[in-house]
Amino acid sequence: MTQGRRGLDGWLVVLATASLLAWSALAFGGSILMLPALCSANAWPVMPLSASFDSALVFNAPARLAWGWALMLAAMMLPLVVAPLRHVRERSFARRRTRAMLLFVLGYLAVWMAAGMVLQVAAVVALWTVPLPLTWFAVALAVAMLWQVSPAKQWCLNRCHRKPALAAFEPAADHDAFRFGLANGAACAGACWALMLLMLLAGKGQFPAMIAIMLFLLAERLEGPAPLAWQWRGGAKAIRLVAARLRIRTGSLNPMAEVSP
Amino acid sequence: MVKTRKNVWELGGDWADPILWYARGVKAMQSRPLSDPTAWRFYGAIHGIDRRLWTQLGFLSSGNQLPPNDTIKTYWQQCQHGSWYFLPWHRGYVLAFEAVVRDAVVKLGGPADWAIPYWNYFKPNQNQLPPAFASPDWPDGQGDNPLFVAQRFGPNNDGNVFVPMDQVDQNALGDSQFIGASDGGSPGFGGVNTGFRHGGNVHGGVETQPHDMVHGLVGGGDPNTGLPGLMSDPDTAGLDPIFWLHHANIDRLWEVWNEMPGSTGDPEQPNWVKGPASIGQRAFILPMPGRNFTYTPGQMQNLSTLGYNYDDVSPPSGLPQMVARLQRFGVSVADSVTRSAAMAGPKSAELMGASGSLRVSGTEARASVPLDAAVQFSVTRSLRSAATAANPAPDRVFLNLENVRGLNDATAFSVYINVPDGDDPAKHPELKAGNIALFGVRKATEADAQHAGDGLTFVLEITDVIDKLHLDGALNANQLHVRLVPRLPVPDAAQISIGRISVYRQSP
Repeated sequence: MTQGRRGLDGWLVVLATASLLAWSALAFGGSILMLPALCSANAWPVMPLSASFDSALVFNAPARLAWGWALMLAAMMLPLVVAPLRHVRERSFARRRTRAMLLFVLGYLAVWMAAGMVLQVAAVVALWTVPLPLTWFAVALAVAMLWQVSPAKQWCLNRCHRKPALAAFEPAADHDAFRFGLANGAACAGACWALMLLMLLAGKGQFPAMIAIMLFLLAERLEGPAPLAWQWRGGAKAIRLVAARLRIRTGSLNPMAEVSP
Repeated sequence: MVKTRKNVWELGGDWADPILWYARGVKAMQSRPLSDPTAWRFYGAIHGIDRRLWTQLGFLSSGNQLPPNDTIKTYWQQCQHGSWYFLPWHRGYVLAFEAVVRDAVVKLGGPADWAIPYWNYFKPNQNQLPPAFASPDWPDGQGDNPLFVAQRFGPNNDGNVFVPMDQVDQNALGDSQFIGASDGGSPGFGGVNTGFRHGGNVHGGVETQPHDMVHGLVGGGDPNTGLPGLMSDPDTAGLDPIFWLHHANIDRLWEVWNEMPGSTGDPEQPNWVKGPASIGQRAFILPMPGRNFTYTPGQMQNLSTLGYNYDDVSPPSGLPQMVARLQRFGVSVADSVTRSAAMAGPKSAELMGASGSLRVSGTEARASVPLDAAVQFSVTRSLRSAATAANPAPDRVFLNLENVRGLNDATAFSVYINVPDGDDPAKHPELKAGNIALFGVRKATEADAQHAGDGLTFVLEITDVIDKLHLDGALNANQLHVRLVPRLPVPDAAQISIGRISVYRQSP
């Protein structure tokens, strides 16, 4: 029999560990992102509507926002870059693999950090201007649904799946790995920004929303590239996967049954 | 009743009964409307369809009624390429097609044990297109022979269809492993571990050679319009009647491989055995007369269970690959030792060096591939130890043509390593890495399709060339010189480009 040659790679363990640590920090470290602070004082959805933008910034200092966002990226997004990281690793000299993968991650996170600042400022400004969090959540939900079915989203997803040729020798190899991270991060931010905005506006439901959105994004990334079209996307393959496993377990799908063409 | 698939050149005549009945069956299928799941064009669309291309080639018009969308989604665009499902999916495809033709044959009064012949272009004097396919006439001189296809241009695009023997090989049979990986090392005999993949990026060994190459050589391209021959493009290949004899031969080679002494057998991973439906993807499903045929790779492994066999599955003569290699180093190793090394399976591949990007046009393209000194030393050390028999499995070396993009699937070229400047590469077969046909490259280049525009990656084993360079003391240079020699000049309009050419070592 042939068994192939892929085992559990050490770098995957590192990636999973980093993601789990970030999840732990988010779960047990108190506040996740500072938007709830704006809406906090006591009960959602009641909030200090007359608060000034200055006080909003006091509660949501850029450093705190950035730290919270970085933790969230590590938790949610690292699992999404397994495929491009594997590409970087396999197309690099063994002595350069770690360096190239770190450069990719650096580029990827740089784009997401910038996108995160924009999304958070947008959310803070929205709530400060019109302090109706439930309304904003509904608006964000509608935007996310519209983006989800749009050809533009598929355009971004297709670019998330790209695996370009990479230079092997320095300094071009460093440049290519970083640039690939930037490109993949931009495509990923393009594909995911609406759901991330929705998560930011989820108030006290932010943590479960993060989990749900990460699972959805993982399921969505299971689908391969596809032609651009207006259609619902994401989750179908994961559902079919679970259903197929259940059918095999219950015996209604017997892959080794006799065949007579 | 076990049906036997026979060599088309050894049936006893150009229009022997099995071919005559095949032609009649094809004619019956071609008379059915596109919306009929057992129609000729419907079966072609199961392999692949590009409506614009079909229209340009005259196989689709505005008057044709298409099947319902659900039917299209269930059956069409199903062929598996660049995938470990390549062989089992095509086995089921040929099997179901054969059943549809047989049904038509029987209704016409033909034999109930009719089986599709195969075209073994490797046998001496059998590389010419079988005559029944080359004539526009039936044997009685009537001019609507359904086996004849005008859009079949051959290796020189002049309508003379044959398989030049210097363009094809059966080297994949020497790969002991069915499964490969897309990490720069061997893609295996049968392909890399994927899900349902209607056009993956890395083709397996037997898919690259001879499968892809025969497609490109037989189909060629129209020198006047630039359109591909039917066989050259996956989206039209199933429309050519010779397709099925070619794939019967590929299917036969799978059986030959299983009979090879070094073969380690078919995969046993559940994802392969149970097929893509078990991982939430499309099932392999084909229309048959009066019913559907749903199958998994695991069900495609045993020919006797499937009710057919081949009249010849003898392996090519010669020593097993690894034994022959060690003999080259002057080492005599017991076959059991090499088999044990093969069973262990290869390790992950490691990059040795890579070029930059490259454009292929005209009559030749050249690239220098700088090598990393440390990795090169590892390979040299491995080869040196082979001479002592202390290492029964020295490194193998692979050339990767990565991210090959372009618009012309009929493009084919030979790849040479370190041919001296000024020399004609054709005079250095010992430095030939292999031949490549860009079957599927057009679709793989589309940004918003199933490849995301990454193109295809071809893997050629260059172990023999590296061994020779090593034994000649010529492996010390810090780079390899690669020359790509297109079979026919590549027009600029084909826009053929290569992302990079890389070299990988792999320890068995």
